[in-house]
Parts: sequence; structure tokens; C-alpha cells
Amino acid sequence: MSVPLSDLKVGETGVIAKMNFKGAARQRLLAMGLVKGETILVKRVAPLGDPIDFVIKGYHLSLRKTEASEILVEPQG
Amino acid sequence: MKSHERAYTQRDGFSIDYGREAEEEIVRLQEEITRQTNIESQFPSRWLAIKLLEGDHDIQTSLKELKGGSELLAAVEKSIAHLEKIYGDDVDVIIADHRYGWINGLVREAVKHNSPDRLTKSDKVDRIVTHRLLGIPIFLIAMWVVFKMTTDISAPYLDWVDGVISGPITNWIVSILGVLGLDGSWVESLFVDGIIAGVGGVLVFVPVMMFLYLALAILEDSGYMARAAFVMDRLMHMLGLHGKSFLPMLIGFGCTVPALYATRTLENEKDRILTGLLVPFMSCGARLPVYILFGTIFFPENASGVVFGLYLLGIITAIILGIVLNKTLFKNKEQSTFVMELPPYRLPTLRGIWFHMWERTSSFVRKAWTIIMATSIVLWILMALPVNGNGSFADTDVRNSAFATANEAIAPVLAPLGFDSWEASSALVTGFVAKEVVVSTMAQVYTVEEVEEEAEATTFFEDVGEIITSFIGATGDTIKSLPLIFGVNLFEEGEEDELTDLMLAVRSGFEESSGGHGALASMAFMVFVLIYTPCMVAIAAEKQELGAKWMWFSIIGQLALAWLMAFVVFQGGILLGLG
Repeated sequence: MSVPLSDLKVGETGVIAKMNFKGAARQRLLAMGLVKGETILVKRVAPLGDPIDFVIKGYHLSLRKTEASEILVEPQG
Repeated sequence: MKSHERAYTQRDGFSIDYGREAEEEIVRLQEEITRQTNIESQFPSRWLAIKLLEGDHDIQTSLKELKGGSELLAAVEKSIAHLEKIYGDDVDVIIADHRYGWINGLVREAVKHNSPDRLTKSDKVDRIVTHRLLGIPIFLIAMWVVFKMTTDISAPYLDWVDGVISGPITNWIVSILGVLGLDGSWVESLFVDGIIAGVGGVLVFVPVMMFLYLALAILEDSGYMARAAFVMDRLMHMLGLHGKSFLPMLIGFGCTVPALYATRTLENEKDRILTGLLVPFMSCGARLPVYILFGTIFFPENASGVVFGLYLLGIITAIILGIVLNKTLFKNKEQSTFVMELPPYRLPTLRGIWFHMWERTSSFVRKAWTIIMATSIVLWILMALPVNGNGSFADTDVRNSAFATANEAIAPVLAPLGFDSWEASSALVTGFVAKEVVVSTMAQVYTVEEVEEEAEATTFFEDVGEIITSFIGATGDTIKSLPLIFGVNLFEEGEEDELTDLMLAVRSGFEESSGGHGALASMAFMVFVLIYTPCMVAIAAEKQELGAKWMWFSIIGQLALAWLMAFVVFQGGILLGLG
């Protein structure tokens, strides 16, 4: 069952299943390696609750919650 | 040849294999492109085919305007539909997949990890810097340090540049003109009051810009800027801005000019323009003397409350305007996204910092001087032209100059605001050039006597010696002012005794023009000063950073808003029976 990436909690990981992200940033995210099958870890949440910092391919990427909700992942244990 | 046999036939040199099905479509599109010679001549065909399959928006828009573009786009749509049926996924995802497949293979073959990851060190720092409770206080301290660097810390150098220009350099030019027999002529006046004033107006900003860019370079190169945006984004996003918008806003309280240049750190165009439009409402340091003068005259009991209220009014105006602009003018602009990498922390290099400081500061000087030189010469001509009295060109009392006449013409527009005197409009017109001169213009137009500074004769070598020693002095002052980073002292103006004559003149002038509502008129005047264009250099900065269209939008919009808000303050105050 895939869930929106924004639903994962800090410390949880997921495997990217689908990119629903539209607009100009979609190309950018694809180029940054957010492709199907890639593992993504929720690293930390900003002090005010948004954005969220993720780790993917060994680097840190932060996204707003609304942006993260456009990416579907398979949660990993 | 059948279509599936054509795959891979058009590649030369290195290229990534996107899979047989995709490669077939790439070749099919390449053939389509080759048929349209005007398109083929502009783009490499394989690159264009791939971009089109990825659905690149910019490329699509530019193709629509080319002959044969729409036929090509129709072919692309067919290819995309075909591929999506085969793969059951978006084509851009498939292409990205293949690129990363290739990259992963290369990394596996070529990269060896044997040093501990720099990420773990960065992670430890981030645990504190983006901490739930500590994150915001750390951010505020960092911003405060940057603010102080562009204000107090750079001030001694600013004074030094100002001193060198108005002292030795002016003297040298006067001496040279004297040798040419032009002393006391209009040429001397043009050089001293027009050209040097204009050049000086740009150059005094150089230390401020250098310190701003030093601070920005350290924040950006170290990796902290990304964290600052991460910490503040939630709050700024509510105003339709980006986490990185906070820094320009804060710098705006020191000076609007470096604040406008600081909008450069924003990547998204909409974020950058909106931030640039709101930055001028952060009341800059040069507007403070105006508030203090009027506050002391009309609200002696509560001057600091009035000053604080004006700062607050500026912030509230920016917040409301931000929300309104977002819902109207910027509604159809592409919504900005946050998508930002938090890079590992690193120590900035001196070379990198120096490069940023020099590159950006020199670009400011190159771009700003034309607009400022032009205004200061126009202003000089207006002040030099006698229209009344018996003065001659460049030797006339300011009251008899074209400048006074022009301002007399403007004054009626300001009547509903309570200050329709040529003295008040003169102060606002020179305030358009720089807010620093509002108070000195008032001193000039409200009181008749002029203070002539008699410079003592010095030799060239004494001058050069003085320039060097005063530079060392400025450096000393800067070092001494470093502790000031953690203290504020806004009210150290000790020149009240000198101003008394001026204060009385201003008070009677405002009481007269407002029909006895002097306090309300002064409040309206201060609100006008807060809202309208900060200065000529800010306009030059707006032109460079936001473009001519937004520069005009900003100038006209701020003037209209200033008039409207001052109108509401004055007329509303009278209606409510205040003052």
C-alpha cells in the first residue's frame, strides 16, 4: 500500500512508488534522483512543523508538506 | 527499415541508453525534427527529442512559436502515449530512471568510500542548528549579526568614504578648477554640488555593500543559508514568501539598498519580486532622523512610541500588501516550491568570499552610478536656476530657484494631507533622492542663514596622509563597534540644541499649512516618508534586481500608497477629533 511521503514519521523510510508532482519542479525532482524504487528517509521536521528534511541518495533534501504529499511511497519497516 | 530497427541509428559519441522502446521514439522524433530545417538549425536533434519526451515546459513554449512546431508537438504526443502504454508509467520518470541507472553503475565501478562521511559531521551540527527549540533563537542571532554588520560595523568606513570625498577630493578638484581660472564659477558649483555629490552618493554605499556581501558569502558558502530558510519557511510561507525572504526584510531595517540586493539569494522569480516589492516598507536607518525630528517637535512626551509605531506600521503594511499581491497580481504566477538541498557544512574559502564581495559590489557601482548621477545633476540645475530675485545662475538663494517654484507647484497635491507648503514638498522631493537629506533640506529651506564650512588649506601630501590615518581610524572604530552587535542605541542624537531654531520653524510651518492640526499633519508627513520611495539608489537597485517594469510599479505604487495612507491619517484624525 503506498502512502503520501508526508505521512511518514521522523526516522521512517519509504521506497518511492509514484511521482504525482506536477509543474516545473517535477523535472527538478526527477533530476535530483526522486525516481521509482529509491529509498527515502524522513530525517527531521523544521521547528515550526514544516518543511521536512529527507535523506535520499545520501544527501539532504527538504520539501514542504504539501510537496511531499505529491510523492507516494511504500513504507518500510 | 522498420521502426524498431531504427533505434540507436542516430547516436554519435557518448549517449545514455534510454531503452529500446524509448530509443525508437527518439529516432522517430529526430527524423521529424530533421524535416523542419528551421527547428533543426536551432537545437541538437537528439537533445530536443529527449526534452520533448520529458515534457519540458520551456521548450514546448518556444516550439509553439516556430514554424512546424505544432506538427512536431503532435508527433511528440503520439510518442508519449505510445511509450506510456508500453511502460505503464510517465515518460519523464522512465527517462530519469535510465539516467540514474547509468549513474549508479558508474558510481559502483568508479567511486570508493574510505573516509568517514562528511554528512555525519554536518548532521551533528544540524541537530543543534535546526533543533526544535534552539533553531529559531540561533537563526535570530545569526540575522542580528548580519544586520549589525551592514549598519554599525560598516558605519565608520561609510564616514571615512564620505569624509574623503567631501574633504580632500573636493579640495583637489576645486584647486584644479582654480588653476584653470574657474573658481567661484558655475562649473565649480556643478562639480562640487552636482557631480561629486552624485558620485559620493554611490560610493558611500560601497562599504555597506562590501559588508553585506561578506555576510551573505559566509552564510551561503558555509551552508547555513539553506538551514535558515528551512527554519523560517513556515512563517514566511504564510505571507506568500519563502524562508529565504526573511534576511532581505531584516537588512531592510538598516538600508533598503543592500536589502534589495539580498533578494538575489531567492531562486524563484515570484518570491524574489514579491520580496523586493515589500522590502522598502521595512523602515531604513535614514528615515529615523525624520521621525526623531518630528517626534521631538510634536510628540515630546512620547517620541519613542511614535517612532516604534511607524516601524510597526511599515511591517503591517508589508504583511497586508504581501497577502493582497499574492491573491491578485501574483495569483497566476507559478507557485513557488521549496525543494531545497541542505548541503553539508563547509568552511568558506577566503578566495570565494573575496570573489563574491568584489563581483557583487563592483556590479552595484557600475549599475547604480548613471541613475544617481543623472538625478543629482537635474537637482543641481533646478537649485542653480534663478527664477525670482536678482541671483545669477549657480549663485541664487534656494527660495528664488526653479527648485522652489517647482515644489510650489507640487504643494497643492499635498494639501489634503495637511502639509501644502513648498518647504514640505522640497523636503519630500530631495527625500526621493536620499532620506538622509530630508532634515538638512528642511534646515536649508526653513531657515535663511547658510553654514559655510571654511576648509583650512592643506597640501596634497597632508591630504593623502589624512586619508590613510582616517582609514586606520575607521578600522579601529569598526573593531571597537564589534561589541555593538549585541546592543542597540538608536537615540544617541545629541544635536537637539542646534535644531531648536529649525524645530520652531517646522512647527509653525506645519501648524499653518494644516490649519492648526500640526501634530496630525506631522504624523501624516512621517507616514508619507515611511511609505514612499526610500531613495534614488534603491530605485537603481530595483531596476537591476527586479527589472524596469517592477521598478516603475514600485515607484508609482509607493507614492500612491503614501498619499493615501497620509490622507487617511490626517483627514481621519480630524474626523475623529484627534489633535
